[in-house]
Amino acid sequence: MTQRQVQLRLGGGALIVAAFLALFAIPQWVSSPSNVGNIVLSPLFWPYALAGFTGLTGLGLIFSGLQMQGTDEPVNDPIEDTGAAWLRLAAMAVLMGLTMFLLPRLGMVLTSMLVFVASAFLVRTRHPITAIVCAVIVPLVLYAFFAHVAGVAIPQGEFLRLP
Amino acid sequence: MSFRTLGAVCALSLGIAGAALAEYPERPINMVIPYGAGGATDISARTIAEPLGAAVGKPLVMANVTGAGGATGSVAVQNAKEDGYTMLFARVGSHSVNPAMKATLPYTLDDFRFVTVYEINPFACVVSATSDLMSMEDVLAAAKGDGLSFSSSGVGSGPHLAAAMVLNAFGLEDAANAATHIPQQGGGAAATAVLNGTADFLCTNSSALASFVANGQMRALMVTTAEPVEGFDAPTATSLGHPELEQMVGWTGIAGPAGLPDEVADKWGEWMTAAAADEEFVSSMEARGSIIRVMSPEEANEFIRAQYDTFRKLVDDLGMRIEG
Amino acid sequence: MSFLDSIAAGLSLVGNIEAFLALFVGVAIGVVGGAIPGMSATMAVALTLPFTFAMQPITGILLLLGVYKGGIFGGSIPAILIKTPGTPASSATILDGYPMAEKGEAGRALGMALWASCTADVISNLALILFAGWLASFALSFGPPEFFTLILFSLTIIAGVSGESLLRGALSALLGLLLATIGLDLVYGTNRFTFGDPNMMGGLNFIAVLIGLFAIPEILAMVWHPTAHVGKTRSLGKNWVSFADYRRSFKSIVRGSFIGVFLGSIPGIGAAPSAFLSYSEARRTSKNKENFGKGEIEGVAASEAGNNGVAGATLIPLLALGVPGDVITAIIIGAFMIHGLQPGPMMFILNVDIIYGLFIGLIVSSVFLFMIGSVAIRGFKYVADIPKRILIPAVLVLCIYGVFAVNNNIFDVGVMFAMGWVGYLMVRYHIPAAPFLIAFILGPLLEDNFRQSMLMSGSDPTILVRGPITWFFWTLTLLTIVAIARAGVRAVKNNPLLSGRSGP
Repeated sequence: MTQRQVQLRLGGGALIVAAFLALFAIPQWVSSPSNVGNIVLSPLFWPYALAGFTGLTGLGLIFSGLQMQGTDEPVNDPIEDTGAAWLRLAAMAVLMGLTMFLLPRLGMVLTSMLVFVASAFLVRTRHPITAIVCAVIVPLVLYAFFAHVAGVAIPQGEFLRLP
Repeated sequence: MSFRTLGAVCALSLGIAGAALAEYPERPINMVIPYGAGGATDISARTIAEPLGAAVGKPLVMANVTGAGGATGSVAVQNAKEDGYTMLFARVGSHSVNPAMKATLPYTLDDFRFVTVYEINPFACVVSATSDLMSMEDVLAAAKGDGLSFSSSGVGSGPHLAAAMVLNAFGLEDAANAATHIPQQGGGAAATAVLNGTADFLCTNSSALASFVANGQMRALMVTTAEPVEGFDAPTATSLGHPELEQMVGWTGIAGPAGLPDEVADKWGEWMTAAAADEEFVSSMEARGSIIRVMSPEEANEFIRAQYDTFRKLVDDLGMRIEG
Repeated sequence: MSFLDSIAAGLSLVGNIEAFLALFVGVAIGVVGGAIPGMSATMAVALTLPFTFAMQPITGILLLLGVYKGGIFGGSIPAILIKTPGTPASSATILDGYPMAEKGEAGRALGMALWASCTADVISNLALILFAGWLASFALSFGPPEFFTLILFSLTIIAGVSGESLLRGALSALLGLLLATIGLDLVYGTNRFTFGDPNMMGGLNFIAVLIGLFAIPEILAMVWHPTAHVGKTRSLGKNWVSFADYRRSFKSIVRGSFIGVFLGSIPGIGAAPSAFLSYSEARRTSKNKENFGKGEIEGVAASEAGNNGVAGATLIPLLALGVPGDVITAIIIGAFMIHGLQPGPMMFILNVDIIYGLFIGLIVSSVFLFMIGSVAIRGFKYVADIPKRILIPAVLVLCIYGVFAVNNNIFDVGVMFAMGWVGYLMVRYHIPAAPFLIAFILGPLLEDNFRQSMLMSGSDPTILVRGPITWFFWTLTLLTIVAIARAGVRAVKNNPLLSGRSGP
């Protein structure tokens, strides 16, 4: 991606968001009572104003993008294996989804142990043993602190209930 | 941790859980406070937690779950397991004003089982000390004449309904629209709005106003209890000829999800009686202007129901119900 | 009672070992609590509150104030070391603090944060003691129209933190404003983008958004390219902040402190906007403008001065009016009331000993903060030495715990994850995160105060120019916009990107 491409894509994205908001999202998901006295007081006024500004910014981005003469220099540092990187990102997304699913079921401590190990190996840690030891200790220490010092009701699992 | 030890730990904890189900409570109880730290509900809850915890014999874990005028925390308890280990500090705003006013609220009174109401807060109506409104008559005259504005801690909050109810009782027609409602984000901001002249009038918990009245920054015009309230040099609603306003009081209670077993409710009844006998608790609550009155589960249900019905009728009469 | 008598009365109240011990313990709790993301200063204060019930009133309140002051500084430690603000107020510190840590200058950044915090603390306390009455009456002249113009002006700081492209900064801010509309409408109580979910009705939790926006993208970037950091120095480093650094940043620190005092004395704004405003002012007037955002020590100094400057000043509306300025002071007011004290004008007459006792305690707290802060920095420095690929999973787990603890809600963890992806996309597209955050804080204030003004006046827009304060902020806003536009034109003329030469 070059600077010019970034600018153009952002502009395009902003225009799409603005159109989506104005044509679909705001009428659909912002409710307004029928007896609103004045237009500026309506709950719809501010979202519509924001959608309008987003559209304008999008136009501005496209305009300034077109003005840029293309340099070929990419804006982000290149990396060796893009395919594997995308895979890792996807795995991270799955891990986050899984976390949300497991938190109420396994409890926070077991889930975080899992998250720790999975993410440590996802970033290809050079210290696998340390990672596993930390994966057990860090969530336990945090649990002890938050549950017993800070008095937070940390979610407990159905299988393991810590004191 | 190897899988075998993990399995052993799991089996062990399951075993404990299975064996101890008989005696409630066998582990700490989560108490959800649906309002933020430092607020009236929070302070009230944390004050009773002390003697209550002693009566329960297991720790009470306080959890503030705030948002949407108490709805977020209430829903968390509504959806919790009905085992008595997740209970809610319910409040006038979350459990009688909100259900009466908001059509889109994700819960109704039927989703909860009240085990007690332990505290009553009188409501007081105030104006700024620099205001030239000297009595409720002046307030009414202003509302009918030049216009009157009142602040509240948000749409569908206790102060919102209270002001409309009071103005309606004193004979203002179309009370919900004739006076201008200027909602604020929270109770502190509602009081500030009266102090800095953004709004003329405010009716809310006497405990939230006591320090402003004592400091001579605000003038109390009325309190809603039958008896005068200490520190408020103002007539009662009854003495002004409106005993129906006695319904407009704040309260704090404890509720569980609708399917709470009877044993659990009974236990709470016992614990509350024991906790409310604590001298220190009573004196510190009374110092903040609350009246301690512990209700049994049945009484509490009846009391909240009656208040809800009054509010619901008023809301429908004045067209204040929030749809959408 | 003369001034000296008042001081003597105050001294007799706090001149005992318990009071100072409470203050010391409070500052220590605050620094540690503030340094744990999600704990934040607010929660540390809330947790300490029950312990004060049994204490003498002054001792209990000093304990809470210590936690408050310590917490606001403590938040800067994780902000600098792991790019996760410990409290919202320290989010501006990330902008330059974290790049400094990446360059191996974490020690210097932390040291400057401490020095700036303590200096601002002293200035803020002095402002409280000397001008409480005057600033309080000034704060009371801030109604919704004045607020609206102040917020409008504050939004112009977005230009100062937009980095390479103003348009991308604006896009970022608009995104923040849009996400801030989620929740219940203030005036009608109707749903906006809540999809009927009670968790959404309360709006997105601010701390979840904040941590998601800063900490999670760092983790995702690591997942994308696990070896990007290899070969870069990333330890606390030998270098400590030097007096020359301090002197160079002194003007920004003082300016930031006064911005903090001003914004702190007006209830309802809080420390984060103050830190950003102070930062953008420092950048605007600095000779090293280019270096801001890449690890400029003056940026750290300005942000920390901005947020600690608020800490003493929020006590002005609290003591003089009995009005809480933010959540923390709301809890502290609760502590006053539990002890039967009623903050307000009468307290300056009835409880003058307590007021002066507090003042003395506050002055001492700055000294304690300096001592405990120095120790804490040395204690936390080991974080900078942890291998980054062990640190990152630990940060992720810490964020999950912390964000849950804020509101005891698993939904907020999901919000943090989602915002993490938004934040990562923004990093990839070089959209600055700071404008998003400022807009997310200020957007609802802007809208609410606009609509409250309209309600007050019956939709008559002239209320927005009703008095000198509004005129002042309108002028300031216009001047700033003109300045931004001129700078923009100049940038277009000189920008290598637009004239065909290769980019930076």
